[in-house]
Amino acid sequence: MGTLPGRRLVLLLPTVLGVVTLVFAFLHLLPGDPVEIMLGDWAAPADAVALRRDLGLDRPLAAQYVRFVGHAARGDFGQSIAFRAPVARVIADRYPATVELAIAALLLAVGGAVPLGVLAAVWRGRALDRIVRLASLAGVCLPSFWLGPVLMFAFAMRLDWLPVSGRGGLAHLVLPAATLALGMGGILVRLTRASVLAALGEDYVRTARAKGAPRWRAVGVHALRNALVPVVTVLGLQAGALLAGAVITETIFAWPGIGRLVVQARDYPLVQGCVLVIGVTYVAINTAADVLVRAIDPRLAEPA
Amino acid sequence: MAPPPGGLVVAFDSDPRSLDPRFQTDANGARLGDLLHVALTRADPTGRRVPELARSWTMEDRRTVVFHLRPDFRFADGTAVTAADVKATYDAVRDPALASPKRTALAALSAIDTPDATTVVMHLTDASASFLDATGLGILPAARAREADDVTTGAGPFRLVSVVRGDRLVLAPNPYYPDGPPRLDPLVIRIVPDETVRVLELRRGGIHLLEDAPEPEMVTWLAAAPALVVRRAPGTSFVYLAFNLRDPRLADRRVREAIALAVDRDGLVRYVLGGAARPATGLLAPEHWAYAPAPARRHDPRRARRLLARAGYPSRGRGTPRFRLVYKTSAQPLRRRLAEAVQADLANVGIAVDVRVYEWGTLYADVRSGNFEMASLAWVGVTDPDLYYLAFHSTMVPPAGYNRGAYVSRVTDRLTSAGRRTFDPLERRTIYARVQRRLAHDVPIVPLWWEDRIAVHTRRLRGFEPSPSGDLRSLAAARLD
Repeated sequence: MGTLPGRRLVLLLPTVLGVVTLVFAFLHLLPGDPVEIMLGDWAAPADAVALRRDLGLDRPLAAQYVRFVGHAARGDFGQSIAFRAPVARVIADRYPATVELAIAALLLAVGGAVPLGVLAAVWRGRALDRIVRLASLAGVCLPSFWLGPVLMFAFAMRLDWLPVSGRGGLAHLVLPAATLALGMGGILVRLTRASVLAALGEDYVRTARAKGAPRWRAVGVHALRNALVPVVTVLGLQAGALLAGAVITETIFAWPGIGRLVVQARDYPLVQGCVLVIGVTYVAINTAADVLVRAIDPRLAEPA
Repeated sequence: MAPPPGGLVVAFDSDPRSLDPRFQTDANGARLGDLLHVALTRADPTGRRVPELARSWTMEDRRTVVFHLRPDFRFADGTAVTAADVKATYDAVRDPALASPKRTALAALSAIDTPDATTVVMHLTDASASFLDATGLGILPAARAREADDVTTGAGPFRLVSVVRGDRLVLAPNPYYPDGPPRLDPLVIRIVPDETVRVLELRRGGIHLLEDAPEPEMVTWLAAAPALVVRRAPGTSFVYLAFNLRDPRLADRRVREAIALAVDRDGLVRYVLGGAARPATGLLAPEHWAYAPAPARRHDPRRARRLLARAGYPSRGRGTPRFRLVYKTSAQPLRRRLAEAVQADLANVGIAVDVRVYEWGTLYADVRSGNFEMASLAWVGVTDPDLYYLAFHSTMVPPAGYNRGAYVSRVTDRLTSAGRRTFDPLERRTIYARVQRRLAHDVPIVPLWWEDRIAVHTRRLRGFEPSPSGDLRSLAAARLD
């Protein structure tokens, strides 16, 4: 059977291949010619033909697909049409910025959502619970293309606390990370609250209390540990939303990550490369989440 | 990040694709190319070629142009720009192996001689009056002109210091620039894709200059800031409605004229653009050397209705249109608003318009393949009137050229062919005046407006002049107080 991470790694291959195939198919189904868009109005048909040949776009679709997959397996995603540079280099230049933003958003979301969710559960029905539930609902509902400019206007323009946009020091990270974190945080707060509430009613918590464990220990150790299982699972799934949300957040905050590269019109090699990297990241995060869940709850671990 | 002291921060909406003159095709690349490189000639606001690296040129005969170079230009590494650099750059672009998108523009060039370090002789295969338009190519050092990778070393007023894709480009003065090195040091180009954010950054001081016109409401808001100044210059970007003359209804000149009369261009400029444009009569703006005033076609819905009736489309009563047209447009907010306004204007004369909004790539492909009835399009950066040949000659239907509406006129064919073979400026001007009158009569397109250039910058910036084409050349002589 192999270990769980090992099995997930084996599954990763067909998953990524599926992602690549879908992206390839959809991109090539779109009307329009990337070469004409790239060369613009002033180029002659002969040059368009030459460039199409250079990029391999004149070959049959199946041949283009096989060539792309073959090269991608060796880490060669081809040449970006828009940037006139190897896709791998363009992505490598920008990937750290996306990772930085995603980690900051993740830390903010988890760091804020888990304690708030626990407190809301413990003080169920009180004012704090109501406020947290309302705020989390707002976090889930508000789209980042609205929230981003509002935060920007409030904290950068009015209060003058933070920079408006761009990547620089820690201060530059706050607003885009908060924008990205709020949606995810909203979901996590609600999930933590519900899970902790369910756990608080379980026998093992009551037993812990009966054996004299203080309330904080019954909640913080016994209830929370069990409540975290669904939270971590959803966290893994939400990582996808985090990467997808980065497309909008990076555009709004002029953050130089790979999210913005995905919307490069008709730059097939670049878009394919980015989606592949995002897909692999997503699968890797979910594998990590699975491993973590099993570490938290040994009952889910494989029998020896 | 705080703007550096003494430096100027300019915002662009996207990364320039290439800063290498051999490969640069986009507007942002061209605007930075102007600052990094020098060319033999450049276009002035009237579309005439004026000296840059070449201090003068003469036509030896109809197929030989001799350029006399200024000896005082130096690349940013200190080496002098010579005739050999010019030859190497042009030869590299002409080499099919390099796959430069500029190669076609130099198709008329057969050979280049360099009798001495400051003389370049260009031999043409055919007499081409528009050839000088191709001499705006930035010159690279000869030793690097054949490199496959981007070369950014030039002899322009600035040199490139660093690039962080998607974030910023940093330029510094070229110390050898003969007209005196620029005082802006550094010149930072920040890439800020979102328009609202560009405007907020400008208002807060994170950006000093915004050159591409924001939405009219944003300009009003920016104008209220005491630290900022809004500058307007008449622009040359030409926005128009394209007809597909393959459609039997639009093949009828009376229908096209009726649509032109039904569209209230003054109203569009006032309400869609907040007054930031001039209603256009044709492709060339009034400043252009070849511009000829065409008879203005005023908004006249009554006459439009009469023309439609005469063309065989009588009124069919309230609520029932005479016919329906599909209008394709890009998703840009301004273009969508334009589409809605045109839809209302045409409904007023009994033509129902179905607006279809497409992502730019799809719209462009449809227009090129003739899969449209009506579309809103634009011409940007028009310098030589030979564009009339490429856009309206009957042989220039895509993929050969830009006659996307398949307009056919023997008179226009004859005139535009003559225009590209005529060297005498006065004679050429007369020819293009006739072309403009003929097009105003035939209505293969409906000219809408020439967009104003609106620049907003800090009051501390002195010496910057917004240009009709949107170039940033005047930054070479600007300073920050």
